[in-house]
Amino acid sequence: MIVFVLQLVVAGLTVGSAYALVALGYHVILRATRAINFSQGEFVVLGGLVAYTIVHVLHASPWIGLIGATAAGFALGWVYERIVLRPAARNGDIAVIIATIGCVYILLYGHALIWGSLPQPLAPFTGAQGQAIHPGGVAIQEQSLWVFALLALAFAALWLLFDRTTFGKAIRAAAVNPVGAQLVGIDVNAARAASVGIAIALAAFGGTLIGPITLVGGTAGIAIAIKGFVGAVAGGLDSPMGCAVGGLAVGVIEKLLAGWLPYQAVDPVVYALLLLVLIVRPQGLFGRKDAVRD
Amino acid sequence: MIERLRRDVRALPVIALAVIAYGIVAHASAFALQVGTYAGIFATGAIGLSLLLGNSAQISLGQAGFFALGAYAVAWLTTSAGWSFIPAAAVGVVAATVVGLGVGLIALRFAGHYLAMATLAFGLIVYGVFSQLDAFGGVNGITDIPPIDIFGHALSNAHAYWFAWLAAALCAWATWNLLRSRTGRAFAALSGDPLAAEVAGVPVKRYKLLAFAYAGALAGLSGALYAGYLGLVIPAAMGVQLSIDFLLMAVLGGSGNISGALIGAALVAGLDVAGHTWENWRLVAYGVLVVCVVIFFPGGLAGIYVRRGRSRREAERDGFAQAAAGAGTHAEAPRERSVPAAAQGESPLRIERVRKRFGGLVAVHDVSFTLEAGRLTSLIGPNGAGKTTLFNAISGVSAPSAGEIVIRGRSVTGWPAHRIVALGVGRSFQNARLFADLTVLENVVLGAFRRERSGFVADLLALRSARHDEREAVERARATLRDLGLERRAGVYARDLTFGERRRVELARAVVSDPWLLLLDEPAAGLNAAERATLRRDVLDLRSHGVTMLLIEHDMRLVMSISDRVLVLNFGELIADGTPETVRNDPAVIAAYLGDERAAGDMRSEA
Repeated sequence: MIVFVLQLVVAGLTVGSAYALVALGYHVILRATRAINFSQGEFVVLGGLVAYTIVHVLHASPWIGLIGATAAGFALGWVYERIVLRPAARNGDIAVIIATIGCVYILLYGHALIWGSLPQPLAPFTGAQGQAIHPGGVAIQEQSLWVFALLALAFAALWLLFDRTTFGKAIRAAAVNPVGAQLVGIDVNAARAASVGIAIALAAFGGTLIGPITLVGGTAGIAIAIKGFVGAVAGGLDSPMGCAVGGLAVGVIEKLLAGWLPYQAVDPVVYALLLLVLIVRPQGLFGRKDAVRD
Repeated sequence: MIERLRRDVRALPVIALAVIAYGIVAHASAFALQVGTYAGIFATGAIGLSLLLGNSAQISLGQAGFFALGAYAVAWLTTSAGWSFIPAAAVGVVAATVVGLGVGLIALRFAGHYLAMATLAFGLIVYGVFSQLDAFGGVNGITDIPPIDIFGHALSNAHAYWFAWLAAALCAWATWNLLRSRTGRAFAALSGDPLAAEVAGVPVKRYKLLAFAYAGALAGLSGALYAGYLGLVIPAAMGVQLSIDFLLMAVLGGSGNISGALIGAALVAGLDVAGHTWENWRLVAYGVLVVCVVIFFPGGLAGIYVRRGRSRREAERDGFAQAAAGAGTHAEAPRERSVPAAAQGESPLRIERVRKRFGGLVAVHDVSFTLEAGRLTSLIGPNGAGKTTLFNAISGVSAPSAGEIVIRGRSVTGWPAHRIVALGVGRSFQNARLFADLTVLENVVLGAFRRERSGFVADLLALRSARHDEREAVERARATLRDLGLERRAGVYARDLTFGERRRVELARAVVSDPWLLLLDEPAAGLNAAERATLRRDVLDLRSHGVTMLLIEHDMRLVMSISDRVLVLNFGELIADGTPETVRNDPAVIAAYLGDERAAGDMRSEA
C-alpha cells in the first residue's frame, strides 16, 4: 500500500513538474502583460515535438534537443508577444484571452499537420527507455530524476534572473509601472517580449523534460494548460514558489486520484478543484489577498 | 447604444429574407437543408454568448456545458421517460439557466482570465460527468431520440429547418427587446464603467448574473434543438471544441450584435461542413481567423455596418429632432419636482465615527457629522484630506473600515452603491464619469434607473409596462436636460462633449431621479467663469427645491458664498464645522490652508 502510494506520488511529481513550469510561465507572463496565455499548454506539446525532431530526425543528443527546444520556445515567445499579445491588448483584456485561444487552435491542429496527431516516444536523457532505480521497492525512472533536478535548476535560474540581475529588475519594473520604467530608460516593449519569451521557453523546456515519460504530441495541451492554471491558482499566481508547489501538488493529486478513480473521471475532478479553490481561497496558498481581482 | 442597436436590427430583415430564400432553394437537397438547420440551431446559442461577451463584458469558454444540459435533458426525457419534445426542452432550458446562475455567481467574484479559465473548466466538468454516467450512456451517449414533435406532430427534416430558425428568430426578438429596454441600458452602463453604473443605480452584480443565466438558457435551448434534430447525443460532440465554436460564431459575427451572432453561426456551420475533409487545416484556419478578427476587426462582420461613424447630416438631424421634441413639450407647465419632505424629523445623513483605512494609512479618521435637511453643506480641506474617500464611504462605493452611516434613520453602512442610490441619494464624480459610448440623453435616462420598475420578463417580452416605463424615463430625462439647458446636445455622444458639458450632463444624471440628497464632488473644477456661474445658479435652484446637498469644492469664493455650513477636513479629521463666517476665521483652518496660499488668500479676501 505504502509503496503503491509512493509510486503514485513519484509519478505525480513527474507530471506535476510540467504543470509547475506551465504555472511559472503564467506567472511570468501575467507579471509582464496582465494576460493569461491559454495556449501555454500547446507550447509544452510543441517544445516536446521540437526536441523530438532534433533527437529523432536530426539524430542529435537529447541534451541538444532540450537546449534547442528551450531556445526555440524563447524565440517563439518573443514573436508571439509581438504579433499576437501586444496587438490584441489594444482591444482590451477579453480580446487577449480570445486571441490566445485562437492560438490554441493554430498550435494544436498545426502541429498535427506537421507531426501527425499520434503522440511519439522521445528518447530519455540518459539510459534506456523506462530504465529505473528502485529505492525501497518504489520504481523511479531515471528520467524522473532528471525532471526533478532540471525543474529545480530552472526555478533557481528564474529566481537569479528576476531577483539578482539588472535585466530581471528591468523586466519587473516594466511590469509594475510601465511609464515610470520608460522614464528611467527601460525598453518596456522589449521587456514584455522577453518575459513572454521566458515563459514560453519554460513551457517548451517542460515539454521536453516529461516527453520521454508521457510521449510528445497529441491533444494533451488543453489539459496541461488548465492543470497548470489550477496549480498556479492553488499556490498563488503572484508567487513563483506558489506556482511551483501548486503545479507539483496538482500532479500528485491527479495521480493519487487515478489510483482509485476510473481513468476518465480524474480530469473532471481536478478541474472541479479549480472551481473549489477559486471559491474558497482565490489568492492561493502563497498569494496575497489583494492580488486576486485582475 | 440605441443607434448601434438600430443599425444591428436593421440587418435582421435582410437575414430573414436570406434564411427564407435558402430554405426554399435548399429544399431539394437534404444535405444543404441539414447545414442550414445546424446554422439555425447554433444561432440560438450564439446570440446568448454574443450578449454575454459584447453587452455584459464577461466571457464564457464553457457554453458547450450548457448546451450539453439542454441536449441531455431532451435525449434522456424523450427516450427513457417518454416525454414529448417541448416539456423536455423546457426542462433542459431551466436546468441550463439554473446552472448558468451558479456559474455566474462564481463569475461575479472574478474578472477576465479567472473567469475564462473557470468556465473552460466548467465545460470540461460537464463533459466529464456525462461521459461517466451510465444512465446517460457514458461515452456512447444516447441514441434513437425521437424527432422533434409539436403537440404530437413529428417534424420532418424540412420542417426542422423552419422550426430551428423560428426558435432563433424568437431569441433574436427577445434579445432585441432586452437590449432596447432598461435591461439593455444597464448592460451598456456596466460594460462601459461598472462603478459609474452602480452609482447611477444599476445593480451591476444582478445584471451580470442575469447575462450569464440568459446566455446559459439560450445555449441550453440550442442543445435541446440539436438533440431533437440529430436524434443522437454523444459527449464527444460537446467538448471544448463546441465551446470554442460558439466563441468563434460570436467573435466572427461581432459580439454584442444580434445580427452578428446569426451571421457568425451561419458562417461557422457552413465552414464546418465545407472544411470537413481537411479537418486540421480548417481548425488551424479558425484559429488564424479568430486571432485576426480580434486584432484587426474587433467589431466582427457586423462591425462593418454597425460601428460606422455617423455622418454629419445624421448627427445634425438627430440633434434637431431632439431639440424639436424638447420644444414641443416646453410649453407645458414647468416640471413638477417632487418636493422632498424636508421635515420628516430624520436627518438626511448622519455619519458616526466613520473611519477608512488603506493598509497602514488612515484616510478618514473617526469623522462624525449630521446634515440638516434642505441645507447646502460644503466639505473642504487640502488635497489628500480624505474628502473623496468620505464621499465613497457615504455613497457605498467602498465601505468604511469602522463607524456608521445613517441615511434618513436607516443604517446603510456597507450597502452597495445602487441600494443607496435607490434611497434617493445622487452623486457626481470628480472627473465626471459619463458613459462615453452613450448619448447625452441615454446617459441621463440611466440616472432614472431607480425610478423604473419594469422587470426582466417585461423587458424580454416588451410588455406594455416596460414600454411605458421606457417612455416615462425618456420624458423625465428630456425634462431634466431642458431644465439644465442641454436639450440641444441630447443626441451627442458623451465622448464628444467639452469638459464643462460633461459636468452638466453628470449633474443631470444625478438629479433626474429627484434625489433628496445630492453629493457633488468638485463640481466647479475645470469650469470656466461662465460655467461656474451657471453651476452656482443650478445648485441654488436645487436647494430652493429642498434638496439637501453635500459639496466638495476647492473654489473658496463659491463655497463661502453659497454654503449654509462648512465642514473642514484635514488629514482625515474634522477640524472645523460652522457657518462660512466662523470657519473662515478659524485659526486651525487657516493653518491647514497655509500650504495652499491661493486658497488661503481666497478665504481671506472673502472675509
